[in-house]
Amino acid sequence: MKLLLVEDEQFLLEEMDTYLTEQGYRCEKATTYTEGQEKLHLYHYDAIVLDITLPGGNGLSLLEILKKQHKNVGVLILSAKDSLYDKITGLEMGADDYITKPFHLEELNARIFSLLRRRTFDGENEVKFDSLVINMVTKTVSYKDESIVLTKKEYELLLYFIVNKNRVVSKQAIAEHLWGDHYDMAENYDTVYVYTMNLRKKITTYTGIDYIKTVYGMGYKWIA
Amino acid sequence: MTLLHKTTRDYLIASVSILIFTGFTLFVILQKAVSDEMNEQLELQADQIFESIRLGNHVNAPLIKIDKVTDNNTSLGLVFGDSMVYDRVQKEMEEYHYLKETQVIGDSRYHVTVMSSHIGWDNYYLTIFFIFLLTAILLTLSGILINYYSNKKILKPFFENLKNVQAFSVSSPYTLQLHDSTITEFKELNFTLKDLTERSKKEYLALREFTENASHEIQIPLSIIQSKLDRMSQLEITEQMAGYITQAKSGVNRLSKMNKSLLLLAKLDNQLFTEQHQIVFNDVLDSHLRNMEDLFLAKNINLIETLNKTIIHSHQYLIDILISNFLSNVLKYTSTNGTVKINLKNNVFIISNTGSPLGFPEEYIFDRFTKNPENTSSTGLGLAIIKEICVLNHWTLTYDFQNGWHTFIIVLKQIN
Repeated sequence: MKLLLVEDEQFLLEEMDTYLTEQGYRCEKATTYTEGQEKLHLYHYDAIVLDITLPGGNGLSLLEILKKQHKNVGVLILSAKDSLYDKITGLEMGADDYITKPFHLEELNARIFSLLRRRTFDGENEVKFDSLVINMVTKTVSYKDESIVLTKKEYELLLYFIVNKNRVVSKQAIAEHLWGDHYDMAENYDTVYVYTMNLRKKITTYTGIDYIKTVYGMGYKWIA
Repeated sequence: MTLLHKTTRDYLIASVSILIFTGFTLFVILQKAVSDEMNEQLELQADQIFESIRLGNHVNAPLIKIDKVTDNNTSLGLVFGDSMVYDRVQKEMEEYHYLKETQVIGDSRYHVTVMSSHIGWDNYYLTIFFIFLLTAILLTLSGILINYYSNKKILKPFFENLKNVQAFSVSSPYTLQLHDSTITEFKELNFTLKDLTERSKKEYLALREFTENASHEIQIPLSIIQSKLDRMSQLEITEQMAGYITQAKSGVNRLSKMNKSLLLLAKLDNQLFTEQHQIVFNDVLDSHLRNMEDLFLAKNINLIETLNKTIIHSHQYLIDILISNFLSNVLKYTSTNGTVKINLKNNVFIISNTGSPLGFPEEYIFDRFTKNPENTSSTGLGLAIIKEICVLNHWTLTYDFQNGWHTFIIVLKQIN
């Protein structure tokens, strides 16, 4: 899968590039409006991560150009503005998702993952990991044809871990992914712990492998 | 005291004083003129009587008394005086003015007394008093009416402008509308007011723009810090380092939350949420509750809900914020094993929870940056945002703490 990252903050761009490349994407970078425009014109991408405020123009205008060219590209808007107006305008103009800065890279990755899943047509509705199969349509998980009963949140957590495999994921990122970032989550990290341990127990019972590793003080890591 | 009352009152005091003074003066002058005239007449009468006596005629008429004085020591000359005489017709004593004069005619002395009625001084006095009283009343009444109506007419644009200024807010998108006046002072006042409001508005807009820009600009370095901290978390590090990174992350998180809240408050102040949609309040509330159920369960909080169908007209995003702020507030401040009651019926939304008393006076609860001294990680903006959302929707929001229960009540306006 080929991604175009349009972002003018060099440090942030590097970080996104590194992590998304680690996750198996081919990433190209653009730091200005013109650069983004050129690359969009010349190449085809599966998805674009698009910052709204860019030197030389507004990210939303790039979106407009894409729409005019009828290119089938997934667009995820990145914005420092937690502005409903931008969000609605962006989504109305054909963007698939919207994420506000500052964000967790794992969340960005998870969003890109589900964005690409939604856009691919023919039934790639399953995520496989070893012998674990996650069906994203029925939202069920099975191991060697034996179904593993998970609660809704445990299912979401499992998918989040697998999408962000080999990455230390903080409790904060997990909490915000599961419950949204409206709430002040600092007090609910214990709940994250409980969910993770429950999920770990269930997966280990079926597979006999302990995939989830606790990284002291940091969070958890799904070992591939 | 309003300007109208004040001017009317001053006018009244002045006119009544003038009337009292002129009435009194008129009375004194009249009295003097009448008694001078009376004296003159009495003197003339006495003189004619003496003339007759000299000619040897004996005069006899009512109210005239002529005595031949035997005592030579009686002094000559005029004496004026008043005395009471019985009036047979009116059957009452009446005051008369008299002149007693003694003159020497031939060898004898004659003592003549002539009298004239006062023509009822009392009546004069009363008549003057009543006429003046009537004048005073009429003048006052007409004065009040003229003053009141003409002033009202003159001041009408002033009062209307005053109302407009009172209703004016720098945050509103409308400019101040003032009624024109032909009066110079009011023209100047209008000019000054317009200038003043426009300047404050400009300054306010600049401040608002600054707040928004500052908030956006802060988000960008924050996201760099956050992504780099995430990167550091991926490295093989010591426990000590892990602790530092976690603390730094929580700081970044707090700053980012606060920044977002301030930005939202700035937008609420600027009334940027004008769109309204029909929202099924109970559904939104229910979905938030289901999403947070596990979190309540984890603290072993007993959640008692009564949600009746309630449809409101508002902004979807603001309702989400309102509900999530309320729920995260009760989740945070309800003690473990406590109880949360959520009641939505008859357009009244009541959310109450058990918990320890506030660490600050109750009236500050909706103020910005007010927070429980024990909970330093809170931004202290959640309830302030709720308050602003309620104000924007014209809902009344109240808070009460009784018998260990914190209770928030919102009266929602219903749209059928």
